Amino acid sequence: MPTDRVPDLRVEGLVKRYAPQVSIGPISFEVYPGEYLSLLGPSGCGKTTTLRCIAGFEDLTEGAIYLSDVRLDRQPAHKRNVGLVFQNYALFPHLDVYENVAFGLRLARIGRREIERKVRAMLELVGLIDVSQRMPSQLSGGQQQRVAIARAVVMEPRVILFDEPLSNLDLKLRLQMRRELRDLQRRLGKTTIYVTHDQTEALALSDRIAVLSHGQIEQIGTPREIYERPASAFVADFIGTANLVKGVVIGTANGRLTIEVGRGLRLIADWQGAVPRGSVLLMLRPERIRFDLPQADAIENRFSGTLGDITYLGEDLSLAVHVDGGLELMVTAKSDARNRALTPGAKLELSAASADLHVLSS
Amino acid sequence: MTAIVQPDRRHIALWGVALAAPNALYLTLVLLIPLGMVATYSFFTYSTTGVALPVLTIANYAKLGDPYFLRLIGRTVGIAVKTTIICIFLGYPLAYALARARPTLATLGFFLLLTPLMVSPVVRAIGWFVLLDRNGLVNSVLMYFGADRQELLFNEPAVLLGLSHLLLPFMVLPLVASIERIPPNVEEAARNLGAGGLGVFRKVILPLSLPGLVSGAVLVYVEAASAFVLPALLGGRFVRMIGNEVFDALLVSYNIPQASMLTVMLIVLTIGVLGTGLALSRRGTVGRSAP
Repeated sequence: MPTDRVPDLRVEGLVKRYAPQVSIGPISFEVYPGEYLSLLGPSGCGKTTTLRCIAGFEDLTEGAIYLSDVRLDRQPAHKRNVGLVFQNYALFPHLDVYENVAFGLRLARIGRREIERKVRAMLELVGLIDVSQRMPSQLSGGQQQRVAIARAVVMEPRVILFDEPLSNLDLKLRLQMRRELRDLQRRLGKTTIYVTHDQTEALALSDRIAVLSHGQIEQIGTPREIYERPASAFVADFIGTANLVKGVVIGTANGRLTIEVGRGLRLIADWQGAVPRGSVLLMLRPERIRFDLPQADAIENRFSGTLGDITYLGEDLSLAVHVDGGLELMVTAKSDARNRALTPGAKLELSAASADLHVLSS
Repeated sequence: MTAIVQPDRRHIALWGVALAAPNALYLTLVLLIPLGMVATYSFFTYSTTGVALPVLTIANYAKLGDPYFLRLIGRTVGIAVKTTIICIFLGYPLAYALARARPTLATLGFFLLLTPLMVSPVVRAIGWFVLLDRNGLVNSVLMYFGADRQELLFNEPAVLLGLSHLLLPFMVLPLVASIERIPPNVEEAARNLGAGGLGVFRKVILPLSLPGLVSGAVLVYVEAASAFVLPALLGGRFVRMIGNEVFDALLVSYNIPQASMLTVMLIVLTIGVLGTGLALSRRGTVGRSAP
């Protein structure tokens, strides 16, 4: 990521200890102006705690948080100017939509006219101007969500934090809100930290993703880097589905490794940097393994296998393939008419490009 | 075997009447009828020889013009209001702490809170004597440090102390129930939007716990206004409340019409506050601030 710019927010060696044995961290990362950074991980990985530390609802045990160059973690929560959108929205049930959005402005002792102007503009922006007199209990989940966002954004915070904001919505609404969030983000250009356990959400929304596990950042990078070049088996497995195959490096040529993964089965993978020695972990994404390419195509890896289980997933088929040489691979295929003829026991000719094979140093 | 029948609305209404009937009957016998009699007696003429002369008069109520009775009513309302205010100020922080405490700690807290209700009023008053008497613990400590002996009993502060100690649970319990229902996230949202401790209380906790505050205040006020044992023991001759006056009129001077009149006054004062309180709480729950 660009290092010539000054980050809006910098987390340095954050450690939070709950009990002698229970702690997260040290966690360090930066968020640059206008950037959308996701903290992604399973529950209990420390992503929400990190967010709450930034918002000021938890004290750090060690480390520091800087907003631009100002030490943030010693300021009380109400003086941080860091907006937070809660998982369950946490709207004020006794105030209508308008007053919910005006809440922070009124505390900031801004003039009545100015408050009115800002709140109206914000309600227009999120499309809630027609329901500004409604109470939170009279709103749909999506509308409540938008009030929560409007309430935070109207304060013009330097950084806006989202704590799993879509997890309480049903699938259809979640997808719609995801699009809205992305639109809003593009219009506002706010620096954003977005906590989620949903990898598709993180991939779709983020400029960069930090994958957390057991209170540590496993990898931080663009969605493409995270998905295609995961730094660890955990990341490979957590983001999407991955075939992880153990192998031994037996040769190297022209930026490619030859890896023996089974009895007589050798795969070729692209590689940059120092050549790893000994055993490695190889990742193949199920949708990057093809079984329908003509032999004539120049593709580095070809191997054959027998089709095992077929799982129908609607859009896709998930195929379990016993590869000759003793490998078990998951392969994703479209569930279109062409693939309807697939039956367990069928012989498959598989292929995979060397660029789609990713070697994890073990 | 009979089939299981879905109860219809009339069925339920009938059951409701049947279930409420014993209590309604009981209340009619022991509350409504005696109250009616008390109200009637308050308009009867004082008799030196019998219970009362059944001659209608407003002479009993005319006594309310007497400065003694005006002071009595003023003192009773004053003590009740002050007790309520003390309980609000002591009760809010306590209720908040209990509502947000870990379950084990909260259980202990509730137990301690309810202990004053577990001993009889007389025993409780004796406890205060041990502390506040001329030779009590507080005076011993004061004099040990060279201070003068203080008269701590038989004055209004002593009564207020005793009453607020006794009635604090009546304020705290409804408040806890209200505060518990406020999601902690909502407070955090307020802090995130720039509200300090006082701001969170004023703009979130207070409006959202208003129903609890009102029911607590009504309970404390009603109990304090009709207090009898504590003002008698801790206030002595100097801090008399309506309850004490009723007791004396009834059992000392045997002036039943006057006791009845004072009882009616007490009920009127209480119902007045109750009505206002309920109206306030209804407005509080429905109400919302204008944009």
